[in-house]
Amino acid sequence: MHTIKQLSVFIENKTGELSDFTHVLSKNGISIKSILLADSTDFGLVRTIVDNPEKAKALLEDNGFSVRFTDVFGVKIDDVVGSFDKVVTSLSKSNINIQYTYSFYESDIGIFIFSVEKDRFKDAVKSLLDDNLEVVSASHFYK
Amino acid sequence: MIWSKDETLPRLELEKLQTQRLKETVARVYGVVPFYQQKFKEIGIVPEDIKSIKDISKLPFTKKQDLRDNYPFGMFAVKQDAVVRIHSSSGTTGKPTVVGYTKSDMDVWNEVMARVFTMSGVNSEDTVHNAYGYGLFTGGLGVHNGAETVGATVVPSSGGFTSRQLLLMKDFSSTVLTSTPSFALHMAETALNEGYDLKKDFKLKCGIFGAEPTSTGLKEEVARVWGIDYYEIYGLSEIIGPGVSNSCCESRDLHIFEDHFYPEIVDPKTGEVLPYGQKGELVITSLTKQALPIIRYRTGDITSLDQTPCKCGRTHVRMKSVMGRADDMLIVNGVNVFPSQVEHVLSNIDEITLNYQIIADKKGYLDSLEIMVEVTEEMPMDSIGALEKIQKDIQSELLNNLYINAKIKLVEPRSIERSMGKAVRVIDRRNR
Repeated sequence: MHTIKQLSVFIENKTGELSDFTHVLSKNGISIKSILLADSTDFGLVRTIVDNPEKAKALLEDNGFSVRFTDVFGVKIDDVVGSFDKVVTSLSKSNINIQYTYSFYESDIGIFIFSVEKDRFKDAVKSLLDDNLEVVSASHFYK
Repeated sequence: MIWSKDETLPRLELEKLQTQRLKETVARVYGVVPFYQQKFKEIGIVPEDIKSIKDISKLPFTKKQDLRDNYPFGMFAVKQDAVVRIHSSSGTTGKPTVVGYTKSDMDVWNEVMARVFTMSGVNSEDTVHNAYGYGLFTGGLGVHNGAETVGATVVPSSGGFTSRQLLLMKDFSSTVLTSTPSFALHMAETALNEGYDLKKDFKLKCGIFGAEPTSTGLKEEVARVWGIDYYEIYGLSEIIGPGVSNSCCESRDLHIFEDHFYPEIVDPKTGEVLPYGQKGELVITSLTKQALPIIRYRTGDITSLDQTPCKCGRTHVRMKSVMGRADDMLIVNGVNVFPSQVEHVLSNIDEITLNYQIIADKKGYLDSLEIMVEVTEEMPMDSIGALEKIQKDIQSELLNNLYINAKIKLVEPRSIERSMGKAVRVIDRRNR
């Protein structure tokens, strides 16, 4: 229930590429919940969470994009000093390596998305739950 | 000046010499190289069938693939103790083309290269700045030995390090530049950027350029910017290396040293011998090679031959500057690249499919090679680092196997042009 299917999409570094991508989603009524762009010198990666990942993947592929699902989880935190530290400390004491993380806000709460090594996914979620942190359920994002 | 009296032999005498040498070569390969014996038997030929040089068309062709199939020494006609030098060019699956030289082959190589330098007006008073690559390629060392043979001072600078080369060329007062034409232009451009006066700071009088197909315009540009005489050299390692032919002061066409290398022009499709003047694929038979004699080698180079007398006094036939290739071989900064070799290297990399495209272009005066590879779902699409590692892996595999330095660009699926449903594998944007 905590596994969120994030879309990782390869984007060439040229004008109009990102809008081609966003256009496919908006035209088909898919809502982007969160998005992160990473770039190298000549290509970029879009990491995004949408309200209907299966449909989005199929649509994007039909439009020539290379899409891959990556399992990530989200942790809800309050907007107070030390809340992010708590989350990271919980993971690090369980010896879990964070591959990357990014955050976004929903009104007054923040959600941090984490990617960890596949075989440590369950351990990571368990560690956070044991430390009384709030791991977001995937259905939070999906329609 | 002419180095050897054999360059001015009357045609009849030359043909007699060629006939005698061809007979010797054919008898020898039939006797000691199983590959040739088998090929001759297949078409019912014995050495006695070769009575004059004109009978050469009865003999079978040899192709680059034959050298690869007999890797490394299967086509050698001497034992290892007689071999004094090995050179090699790139190949697929780590199997390059290997060529060998006996002491007498080295003498012939030095001799023809001495003819090249003499033909270009170079002698012991000159200093030759040799920017052809040294190493397994025949270019650097072949040119080097010829310059020494005529007594010139040789600066063995090899390729790269342009600024340093310019400094040496100026300080040593070099009078002759030997390099690929594109590198000569690249040097000129760099020199201008660094504030040199090309005509005052350098003492160059001529250059001997080759190893890549070159348009007339580019040759004129090299001669103009450096203020030098342009001589063109031709050669290939399978025959001997540089020194198969060279242009003289009277003609842009290149005299083939026919007492050592017998040229024919054939229809690339049918293999039928074409008369002088007609355009086709150059085929060469070595007449004096000991370590690796080669019968009717298909060079893949398109040219035509001209037997009319030359004002310079040489009787050897002239070939036109190479006009193109009979196959899809690309020449990138003097290095031969077959698209099939690139494909083979790519096919050994797990994460990619064979949706690729090779783009040859000019960056300034130098060639650049870019290989576009479509990404697939099998790729680690969630990590920039992992994708960049794939790029680097492809790049180093190409460098290690084919000695080519290519930029790898990952592109979206189905973004490589398809023509009639079939992917276009090679785009050459360089002006010819």
